[in-house]
Amino acid sequence: MKAQMRKGVLDMCILSLLSSEEMYTSDIIDKLKNSQLVVVEGTLYPLLTRLKNAGLLEYYWQESNYGPPRKYFRITADGQSFLKDLKESWEEINQAVSLTTQNTQVHE
Amino acid sequence: MNKTININLGGYAMVIDEDAYDVANRYLMTLTRHFVANEGAEEIMQDIETRMGELINRKRGTRTIVNKLDVVEAIAVLGTPEELKDIDFSDDIPQKKRSTQPSFQLKTGKRLYRDKDDKIIGGVCSGLSAYFGIQDAVWIRIVFVILTLVFGSSLIVYLVLWMIVPPAKTVSDRLEMMGEPTNVNNIAKMIKEEIEQVSDKIQDKFGKKSKHHKKHPAEDNSEQIHTSGWAWNPKSGARGETKPPYNKKDFV
Repeated sequence: MKAQMRKGVLDMCILSLLSSEEMYTSDIIDKLKNSQLVVVEGTLYPLLTRLKNAGLLEYYWQESNYGPPRKYFRITADGQSFLKDLKESWEEINQAVSLTTQNTQVHE
Repeated sequence: MNKTININLGGYAMVIDEDAYDVANRYLMTLTRHFVANEGAEEIMQDIETRMGELINRKRGTRTIVNKLDVVEAIAVLGTPEELKDIDFSDDIPQKKRSTQPSFQLKTGKRLYRDKDDKIIGGVCSGLSAYFGIQDAVWIRIVFVILTLVFGSSLIVYLVLWMIVPPAKTVSDRLEMMGEPTNVNNIAKMIKEEIEQVSDKIQDKFGKKSKHHKKHPAEDNSEQIHTSGWAWNPKSGARGETKPPYNKKDFV
């Protein structure tokens, strides 16, 4: 259950990170690690591939001075609208949850 | 002394020592198995290889050769297959009942090797004792000596075994010899054990004349090991009682 929740939230976080700028995979990882959403990096690659295959993200290669070409991700139009939906449902859930948990606290 | 290998890890060219190569190779193999059910498994593995190359390259700094600790730290950052199991992203595919046996175990059977770190002549007896799970190789040696005195022909048996049984050279050979599954956790455990052994040795013998004075490069960084989320615990595991299958000799 906890893993499922985190997974849903991760989708949203990645999309919203990429909605403002195009990012190199390692930068995405660094941001998510800072917020402690991702503990080990390996979990992220399947997720990015899945989002890309779903047409929500796309990537392009960019030459790098320090090593092989880097994969830069950017969000697609589909991704933007999906993110909007996600954020709306997130707000709804958030409200519903806080309402419910507040009520239970009162009754206890 | 250690052989080195030239590799291309996700586009990063590097010189890596044989033991480190062994660890990295096992890790990538177990991950490939782990992700095989995922959509786009090949792409995921490519990304991971590139990232691993990047991490190792960054860690290596100005050193020429990649060592085991570089690899182990990269693995700690990327996550062991065990840690990756927590979040299963493959649920778009109908969930199959996974067997309770962890999927990343490659082999559990023992193999007969010669134990070169515990040898009198060729390490045949110690290898046999590891194979049959006998704690002390001295019993096998006694049997061999008695047989040789009585029949004489067992000397030939010994010589033949010496010739045909391969020595346990790499970390995974040693794990196979001890009958431990060759997975990433065990390899990492073994490496940690040997690093600890060496640092103990250095502390013990500090100031005295010792051939172990030459520190392994890994030793200098041993305090920086990333252990967060790393499933290693020195107290747990059956290893406690048996002699560590790895030996400081491998370091000098």
